[in-house]
Amino acid sequence: MSTVFDFKGASGSGWSQPDSSFQNPDAIPESLRRKSLPGWPRASEPELVRHYTLLSQKTFGIDTGFYPLGSCTMKHNPRVNERIVQLPGIDRIHPLQDSSQVQGLLAIYYEMQEMLAICSGMDAVTLQPVAGAQGEFTAIRCIQEYHRSRGDDHRDKVIVPDSAHGTNPASASMCGYQIIEIPSASDGRLDIDALRAAVGDDTAAMMITNPSTMGLFETNIAEASRIVHEAGGQMYYDGANFNAIIGKTDPGRMGFDAVHYNLHKTFSQPHGGGGPGSGPIGVKEHLSEFLPTPIASRRESQEGEPNGVGDGFYYFWQDVGDKSIGKVQQWNGNAGAVVRAWAFYRRYGRDLERMSEHAVLNSNYLRHKIMNPEPDVAAKINCMPSEGSEADLVMHEFTLSMSPVKEVNGVTGKDVAKRLLDYGYMSPTLYFPQIVPECLMIEPTETESKEVLDKFAADFHAVLSEDPEILTTAPHTTPVKRVDEVWAARNLILRHPGNDED
Amino acid sequence: MIEGAASRETIEFLLTCSGVTGEPMVDQIPNLGRESEMLSEIGLSSMSDLFSNIPEGVRREDSLPLPPPQSEEQILEDARRLLGANVDLDSRPSFLSAGLARNFVPTMVPMLATRGEFLTSYTPYQPEVSQGMLQAMWEFQTMVSELVGLPISNVSMYDASTAAAEAITCAVRVKSKKATNPNSVFVSGLVPPHRLSVIRNYTQGVGIELHILPHNDDGSLDMETVSSAAGSSAVYVEQPNSLGILDEGLIGLKEIIGDSTALIVGVDAVSLGLVQPPGHWGADIVVGEGQPFGIGPTGGGPIYGIFACTKEFLRLMPGRVVGQSIDTEGKTAYTLTLSTREQHIRRHRATSNICSNETLIALMGAMHMSLLGPEGLEKLATRISSSTYAVMEAVTNIPGVELVNPGGAFFREFAIRLPGPAKDALSSMDEAGVLGGFDLGNWWEDMSDCLLIGCDEGITEPDISSLVDALKAWSGGIK
Repeated sequence: MSTVFDFKGASGSGWSQPDSSFQNPDAIPESLRRKSLPGWPRASEPELVRHYTLLSQKTFGIDTGFYPLGSCTMKHNPRVNERIVQLPGIDRIHPLQDSSQVQGLLAIYYEMQEMLAICSGMDAVTLQPVAGAQGEFTAIRCIQEYHRSRGDDHRDKVIVPDSAHGTNPASASMCGYQIIEIPSASDGRLDIDALRAAVGDDTAAMMITNPSTMGLFETNIAEASRIVHEAGGQMYYDGANFNAIIGKTDPGRMGFDAVHYNLHKTFSQPHGGGGPGSGPIGVKEHLSEFLPTPIASRRESQEGEPNGVGDGFYYFWQDVGDKSIGKVQQWNGNAGAVVRAWAFYRRYGRDLERMSEHAVLNSNYLRHKIMNPEPDVAAKINCMPSEGSEADLVMHEFTLSMSPVKEVNGVTGKDVAKRLLDYGYMSPTLYFPQIVPECLMIEPTETESKEVLDKFAADFHAVLSEDPEILTTAPHTTPVKRVDEVWAARNLILRHPGNDED
Repeated sequence: MIEGAASRETIEFLLTCSGVTGEPMVDQIPNLGRESEMLSEIGLSSMSDLFSNIPEGVRREDSLPLPPPQSEEQILEDARRLLGANVDLDSRPSFLSAGLARNFVPTMVPMLATRGEFLTSYTPYQPEVSQGMLQAMWEFQTMVSELVGLPISNVSMYDASTAAAEAITCAVRVKSKKATNPNSVFVSGLVPPHRLSVIRNYTQGVGIELHILPHNDDGSLDMETVSSAAGSSAVYVEQPNSLGILDEGLIGLKEIIGDSTALIVGVDAVSLGLVQPPGHWGADIVVGEGQPFGIGPTGGGPIYGIFACTKEFLRLMPGRVVGQSIDTEGKTAYTLTLSTREQHIRRHRATSNICSNETLIALMGAMHMSLLGPEGLEKLATRISSSTYAVMEAVTNIPGVELVNPGGAFFREFAIRLPGPAKDALSSMDEAGVLGGFDLGNWWEDMSDCLLIGCDEGITEPDISSLVDALKAWSGGIK
């Protein structure tokens, strides 16, 4: 297989640049000078355009096909958003420019802060954290400083359910907290008695997502908030599953003190092969003075001031003050992602509710289709998976357990996942949450049509009807066959060995 | 106290929003209008039935106080109007850098990186259908490794600051057994305050004590005090530092602190086309801002941080790593590896909480680096170096203006002392249509009469004349 390092054009070949009109040959002393250039490829634009086009064709995106990856909200990314972020008013903007020069960007920041506060029932929002995990970290830092400001330094435990995303315990642990993991109840929901037993005067916070990673709404959430608050702890909402609830309920109503949003899930910042994301946080008033600094603010324009965006306000970066935790990203967050998310939300406006409705509709519809095959189809299926939870209704995602299938013919969740790749789908999230054995976690999102969901259910049934050996050796039609992950970890070839002539 | 949202009953920002009619989001939700058909199949009668698990006490009854939905045309119109109110860096002579570059990004880069397959893919957990992105990241790792002179690179951190912060926590995990002061870390006093703040946030919870290393008047690290860092877990310095100074003394730093202390160096990635990479003078971890390769300043993000290290740190480093492998037929393939360090497996014992990173921007970086090639990199660095010295020569000829740190070598940035507040100079130059740099008083109070001037490959003779004229007009006026 060829790599970019196979391009070995003549010395000096590559991208053409103008010569500098300034000459300062001896500016950098000899002792500091690089002795030999890095072993980078030497390639022309046509060669590289083809190289990266071929690589893109060996990459599966939402644009390629249905991407039912649970907990990741792989919805369509509207293309106008990409056009907007190429405008010089965002692409060619420096975060340290004076507020007077970035009125439009500040107005968008302000509007996004307000919109996210409204949708979540929080009082203040910062857009600085650049990923969901960084949002968690930021919120836990604010909670930590809040406790310290009250002399509650002894609160050193953070409670997380065993179904939580791995980032929750990892983020709290980075702040120095000990993690108390509580087991889920038999229906997959939060175990209120276990929570009651876990809280105490050492509780700093509880981190939980609702709906849970099981796709279930935590019906006891208000009670959970009451228990944690009575113990003196703070409630933290992991916004990974926010796509399920906008306009229907919000973390404020559930009793949460802090929340992060994933602009790359709910608000369509493209996932880009793993990032960039954007993980703003919202907090209730008592935590707002600890937020990272600065946040976007505005006041009425004064006479003689430049016109700004023409709405009668002057926008500016407001310093959060002495109690602020400072910075978590060096500038003001992923502004490009904020602008994309702004363009996305503007498309729905007050009808964002429709988005969540259709996300939940598609999820329940697909779950029903998969679990209730027509009799003639059912007759051909070797063995059906079981529900990850037996609830009548799920929210935006659901889980299936392949355990029954594994028991009957040895086919694992991973085998099913790999076989689905042959049918032109991305696999569902595999083996998460860990409390469901042989778990497949499926989230269709609101941007898939009924026809796609019907076809996926039919193909899923077809997979379950196949000779088990076809599954255990899958995939068969992808650019490479099943990849040996153990080989990779054993040999650790983490870079190209280099070309001799370099 | 931050202004609360208590009064958010109606939205007051409607003036920024153009009017609308109809239901524009119909182009985004394919099943609009087919709800009853789908609901009846699952035995429900209304959309609200889907949400019956939400208890009454926490249910939202009213609708969201947000503006009406807009069509693509209207959104684009509003975006153009709002973002058009910003002053973009290319619209005037600009000398603002301070760690983020006004660069030229080759057209191929955004066009290819935003191909839908790259743009809309998730983390490549299924390697069989992600070979393209995985190979591109493996090539990225190789190019970063070559650039900084260390064998291992991950596939990106959020930015230079989180890369530096996580390098420090990583170094402490690795070195704490050998170090005599395992919780001590020494950081250059010229690390800019926003980065120091990120570092403090990331290190405070795990009990790391930060000590600040002083500098000499010429901006070089005070090597007399560096020996006090021996026995600590790590030393973090930057080359060039935040005042643009290339410090020859750093070349001998590793020898002073010894093997038991990790040397972490933050770099301006482009400078390494001219300047010796830290991996060649003993750095254990190299971090830095990757942004000059791949993407415009974008209001401060998304950008990406570089993270490279020696083998010693591999198993305790943060972030994703791609390794070469084989498939069941022995064919070369790529896959994520060493995942057992990561949060989705190791949970609270993970080496970092990082999950989403900056892969797409790193991909843009890989494309830009591939286009440049070795000689193109050297030329780009030379252009920036040349413009730095040309601008320096021109502005230091202005009466009353002097170089803050004379005698050293510089890359991209340098600081000048003015005959008055830098804040005033900047607003005066702004009126003359020149973005004259960065007021260092924002970082260090005792530098409020100092301006940090950033120079990039796009600076022209007329730009320099405009800067000099504007600065002269201001400094002449205050006498």
